[in-house]
Amino acid sequence: MKRNFTYLLLLLICFMLQGSYLLAQQRTVSGKITSTEDGEPLPGVSIVIEGSSTGTVSDLEGNYSLDVPGPDAVLLYSFIGFATQSRQVGSQQTMNIALSPETGDLDEFIVTAFGISQEKKSLGYAAQSIDSEAITKMKQPNLVNALQGQVAGVQVTNSGGAPGQSARIIIRGINSLDPGADNQPLFVVDGVPVDNSTIESSGTPRGLSNRMADVNPNDIESMSVLKGAAATALYGVRAANGAVIITTKKGKEGQIRVNYNGSVGFEELNRLPKLQDEYGQGFSGEYQPSSFWPSWGAPIAEVQQTVPDHRYQDNWNRAFNTGVQIDNSVSISGGNEVATFYGSFGNLSQEGIIPFSTWDRTTAKLSGSVKASEKFDFSGSINFSNTGGNRVPHDRFMERMMYWSETTDVRDYINEDGTMRTYSNTNPIYDARFATYEDDVNRIIGNINLNYHPTDWLSFSYRLGNDFYSDTRTEITPGPKGIDGEVALSSTGLLEETRINSRDLTSNFFITLKKQFNTDWNTSLRLGNDIFERRFDEVTARGENFVIPEFYNLNNTTQIFAGQDKRLRRLVGFYGDLMVDYRNFLFLNLTGRNDISSTLPKDNNSFFYPSVNLGYVFSENLTLPSWVTFGKVRASWAQVGKDTDPHILGATYASPDIFPLNGQVGFTRNSVFGDPNLRPEQTTSLEFGLQTAFWDNRANFDVTYYKSNARDQIIPVPISDATGYSSYITNAGEIENSGFEFILGGTPVQTQDFSWNISANLSINNNEIKSIREGIDEIVVGSQFGYVGSTVTMKLIEGEAYGNIFGSSYQRLGADPDNLFLDRSLPVIIGANGFPVRTGTQLILGNAVPKWIGGIRNDFNYKGFELSFLVDFRTGVEQYNQYHNFLSAFGKNEFTEAREDFRVFEGVLADGSPNTQEVWLGQGEGPDGVNYGAGYWRNHYRTTSENFVEDASFIKLRNITLGYNLNPGILEKTPFRTARVSVAANNIILYTPWDGFDPESFSAGAGGNAVGFTGLGFPGVQSVFFNLNLGL
Amino acid sequence: MKSIYTILGVLLLLAATACENFLDVNENPNNPQNAPITGLMTNASYETALNVQRIGSITSNYVQYLASPNPASASDVMEPLNYSGTWFNLYNAMTDLTDLISQAEESEAGHYLGAGQVLMALNLGMTVDIFGDVPYSEGFDFSAVTPVYDDDEQLYAEVLSLLDQGLQNLEGTTAISIGDDDFIFQGDVEKWIKFGNVLKARFMLHSPNVNANEVLSAIDNGFEGNDDDAYVEFFEQRFNPWAQVAINNESLLLGGWISTQFIEALDGTSYPTVDPRLPLMIGTTDEGEFIGVPNGAGRGDAPEQGARSTLIPGQYYTSELSPLLIATYAEQKFIEAEAALGSDPDRAYAAYLAGIEAHMDMLEVPASEKEAYLSDPSVSMGAVALTREDIMKEKWVALFLHPETWNDARRFDYGYKDMTLPANLNTDLNNQFIRRLPYPDNEVSRNGQNVPEVTLLDRIWWDE
Repeated sequence: MKRNFTYLLLLLICFMLQGSYLLAQQRTVSGKITSTEDGEPLPGVSIVIEGSSTGTVSDLEGNYSLDVPGPDAVLLYSFIGFATQSRQVGSQQTMNIALSPETGDLDEFIVTAFGISQEKKSLGYAAQSIDSEAITKMKQPNLVNALQGQVAGVQVTNSGGAPGQSARIIIRGINSLDPGADNQPLFVVDGVPVDNSTIESSGTPRGLSNRMADVNPNDIESMSVLKGAAATALYGVRAANGAVIITTKKGKEGQIRVNYNGSVGFEELNRLPKLQDEYGQGFSGEYQPSSFWPSWGAPIAEVQQTVPDHRYQDNWNRAFNTGVQIDNSVSISGGNEVATFYGSFGNLSQEGIIPFSTWDRTTAKLSGSVKASEKFDFSGSINFSNTGGNRVPHDRFMERMMYWSETTDVRDYINEDGTMRTYSNTNPIYDARFATYEDDVNRIIGNINLNYHPTDWLSFSYRLGNDFYSDTRTEITPGPKGIDGEVALSSTGLLEETRINSRDLTSNFFITLKKQFNTDWNTSLRLGNDIFERRFDEVTARGENFVIPEFYNLNNTTQIFAGQDKRLRRLVGFYGDLMVDYRNFLFLNLTGRNDISSTLPKDNNSFFYPSVNLGYVFSENLTLPSWVTFGKVRASWAQVGKDTDPHILGATYASPDIFPLNGQVGFTRNSVFGDPNLRPEQTTSLEFGLQTAFWDNRANFDVTYYKSNARDQIIPVPISDATGYSSYITNAGEIENSGFEFILGGTPVQTQDFSWNISANLSINNNEIKSIREGIDEIVVGSQFGYVGSTVTMKLIEGEAYGNIFGSSYQRLGADPDNLFLDRSLPVIIGANGFPVRTGTQLILGNAVPKWIGGIRNDFNYKGFELSFLVDFRTGVEQYNQYHNFLSAFGKNEFTEAREDFRVFEGVLADGSPNTQEVWLGQGEGPDGVNYGAGYWRNHYRTTSENFVEDASFIKLRNITLGYNLNPGILEKTPFRTARVSVAANNIILYTPWDGFDPESFSAGAGGNAVGFTGLGFPGVQSVFFNLNLGL
Repeated sequence: MKSIYTILGVLLLLAATACENFLDVNENPNNPQNAPITGLMTNASYETALNVQRIGSITSNYVQYLASPNPASASDVMEPLNYSGTWFNLYNAMTDLTDLISQAEESEAGHYLGAGQVLMALNLGMTVDIFGDVPYSEGFDFSAVTPVYDDDEQLYAEVLSLLDQGLQNLEGTTAISIGDDDFIFQGDVEKWIKFGNVLKARFMLHSPNVNANEVLSAIDNGFEGNDDDAYVEFFEQRFNPWAQVAINNESLLLGGWISTQFIEALDGTSYPTVDPRLPLMIGTTDEGEFIGVPNGAGRGDAPEQGARSTLIPGQYYTSELSPLLIATYAEQKFIEAEAALGSDPDRAYAAYLAGIEAHMDMLEVPASEKEAYLSDPSVSMGAVALTREDIMKEKWVALFLHPETWNDARRFDYGYKDMTLPANLNTDLNNQFIRRLPYPDNEVSRNGQNVPEVTLLDRIWWDE
């Protein structure tokens, strides 16, 4: 019954729409439409009488016929990917038209779900893509970084400046309340989802790579970002945070092409905190040459009179190297009517600014396609990469820099016998050199595509994808060498071998049915099955206490511990996708998908979710002023489900690594408890958009509003250890993200020799925790250490936004005790001792999720010259500056130069009267005879989180590139087809109110969500590159 | 046509069952769903000993056994630190003990049940002693996501009741006998019973309204000599944590420096006698002298090695395989001395001497030196002259590095001879000694509404 009703409804709509032109019958024109490229007929071409809504669409053989009012009628022939033509009817009865493909306008197409190249015009949701040039221009070894600032609603954050270090990508805000959830989109390469996880080192952070870094950016043809659930519903649970669809370069029919890209880059620290250079090693203003305290000592100038080589060493500048990056890649491609191929080799080697940090990547890729017959074609590709390097412990490096005496040369770190040269503290460079952590990843990504078209309207497609990698990691901390008087990095030494094997298998089979009901109605239906499996196995063996110094083998240790982590996750999905196209201006898309996940309780593991989206290209249907080239409104509603991690349900027991001891194995209750009644998460998103182009595409504007609600979020809620668990995984709440995205682009100047293109994007995101499960008041996302009660915590509270940072603050007069937010405008209360009074009550001091993000890209072309630059920014964001906390604890900030001053702290006494008491800021007994103990910064300043939660907005000149393409006239005398030289610079201008290293760096790595904490992360860098591209 | 549908139907059915099997792979391959009771006993006994050491490493600076080589170090100057790790370890042990107790009840393993209750009492008692009010009644079985904090005095009643139940169960029958999975007594139930009685005496003694007779009657059933001591002996695979501190310090990863207070108490400065135990407990300078670091002041211009006394590897407390002491005969004797002091000075005096002797025997002090020390009039002052100060001083020495000393110090109002406030004392303490630990950051952030607001000067119920 229901089906009958739908059918009737469709029929009714057909009649209503057709009725208007059934009336005007004068004369009929017919003809055949072909492509100039191959002479093949073009089905689905729209033919419209100019100035009316009357028109038709060509059939499968390219034939059409249309009733026209008279000889003055002008027919417009338009088809995706082809230049629109207009012809006056005149006296003709047969009008055969050959359409030429439009060249170079990639914007018209976008690769969507399952690698289907779809006309952007037909989409009912927002999607944006960048091409290979925009990717490689950025000179980012990590593909994810190349998206930085280029796509609306997409926030890419460098986790730091280490070679190969992970970058984090978030589309339209954080969708999950789970502190450990991967909020990053699914990455799909040539139709096959691939792994982009980041597995950080188990101990101190070392800036490991996100797995997309294994892919050579030079092999990429384009990247499309599918933002909303509507765009990604077909990919299922894994694309709940959006998807990045990557298309690699393919061979093209024609002669064989060889391309070479080479570049050499140099990088250095881009920014330092403001530091003091007046006071040296010691405490309480006293010089002490072996003191732990790096800069609470006597004035350097004073000590210099008796100790001549006692001077400020400028260690913070001298500790870092100039990083070098060398990238070479060569590709060869070609093909004929039957087969095409593409092959490439690439090698990147990088040395970072922290001494001994390295990362290399070697890639090889081969892909090809064969058209075996008219009905059958297949293609495949295999991509091998070997990546890895020495990952220096950047957090520990920076922490040791913090403790290192500012009056001792940090570069003079090693004695002749190989032991550490130090006054007592551990030298950061010595540690970076000898406490190594090397990873070696071998990865193979392969896929096979088979397509069979038995008839015009039916096709079968199958894709099998495999993503396998092994990751071999070796961590070494040397023990003592056995030399008298040495300061060892560890008293026992440590060797940890980690072996990770991970394999993703994806299988995707779908049937496509196409049906053109009549000239107006085009439909296509896709039905498919999708299977995913990830098998992960990690084995670690740790040996401690070396018998023979410096002989690094597990057999040479007296204490051995082993651990294993196995995971298996399987997903089976069934989906359907119906596209209806009415006269090439109205596009309707319905999808439905049912997923079954192995990770959820059996009763709840199967879940269905639908989506619908509609695009209306009003510029093809309405009479608009001539300067409006294109206009479309779109709307979508979509749901997508989400499962969880494997093997988390219920209560389990674990055997700690330390066992067996004396042949006994101990067990302890696992501190994580997974709700046995877990349900899938469900995200519902709504989106409206308007896309327009003006003055022959010289300007375009796109705006999108979105709102997404993720319900039944699966979250490991940190709970009191007293419950018997530390973490409870349950469906714990709902989060809402909403916002606007604006894209503005255009070509302000276009002449024969000169062109100027501009494209800008701007997004605003609002975020609210709608609900948290009863019994849980708040969810701790993460916390970061601060001295003496200045530790900050990122917590989620119902009704508030994601990313609020809580911490201690100064007491304020008249503060509302119910206000969760610190009101910095109220006067600070000063205590009887003359110092501000601290309160440990945890208040919201800032929010770590940027309110606004955006970027502007400009490209200028003059003859062979190209100049482009990309500026991006973020604002409305605060972060906890752990560097600031440490620097103030150790007397290294510039402002601690005031340590011999008196100050009257601005504020009021408890009774409201202004504070007038003068206090001394230094340590020990002041000139006023009062004992100030460890001094203002250690006793007061460093204890209060509000001093360290700071505005982390920035504007960056992300990239500027100047290139020159050699004149074809000159090239004729050479074997080269094309040649280009260019210079690029990244991050050379950074404007920010933040006092410290680049505020973009954070220590958690791409995997976590605790982005509001800088930690002692690898400092950001600026770089310059010299590039050469040659084509044969 | 019909047959095609049948085939299709069968295929679908096959696919559906295959699918079900294909997806049935979520059983945890890393962690089992049940733990053997022996495994729980192994971990609980091991972790309990470590918990004693973990708390001991926090309190040893407060009671001035140890001092930081750096000036104004947070532990010396009694600044609030984040004890989330210690808190986790205590609750982790109590959680495992809850499971051990319920498994023992189910399988009628009375001895496991009793030993579990004794260890539970010990961990709970130690938790209350440092934090005061803590969650318990709503704890361990996940009955509440944010468990309430129970009153510390009531928790003490629970500690004693657990000990009574534990003793009763240990004295009864058992379906399963404890074996080598028990790292403390290797299944010796008699020793467990004695241990339970010593713990009863220890916790009862804390109370300001202690019933001395009850303490003494518990002691009557306690240890009979050093052989009964409760400890976990360490392993080739894992060194004693104090040994690790000493080894690290030798590699100049500084730690385990001795407080001036401790050295001066034993080297003849604060008291007339030179204690023969000193060279068996700590190391000397390169010159063979005992020089400590004043708490809070740091080592001054001394180098990192050779100029101050520290823990050194290879001594009684600091050998790789050294035992971690949980409760000793020596401690029991000092409890006895303190409890008997008011009513039976002779018993008190005998116990006091026996306590010193027990500790000296443990350290293997040569007989002649032992006798010389014990016969010094400042030590053997006689039953009439014996004071609580004398008992507390000797107990302080005998419980070197043990957290029970901080309970004693607070009960004794830090009244040890010549014990002074550390230099650079945390100004919030208003020139007083610390009385408790702050609640850990994890509890404040995860269970904030239940966490009592306290300062470091607020006292545990028995200290009020």
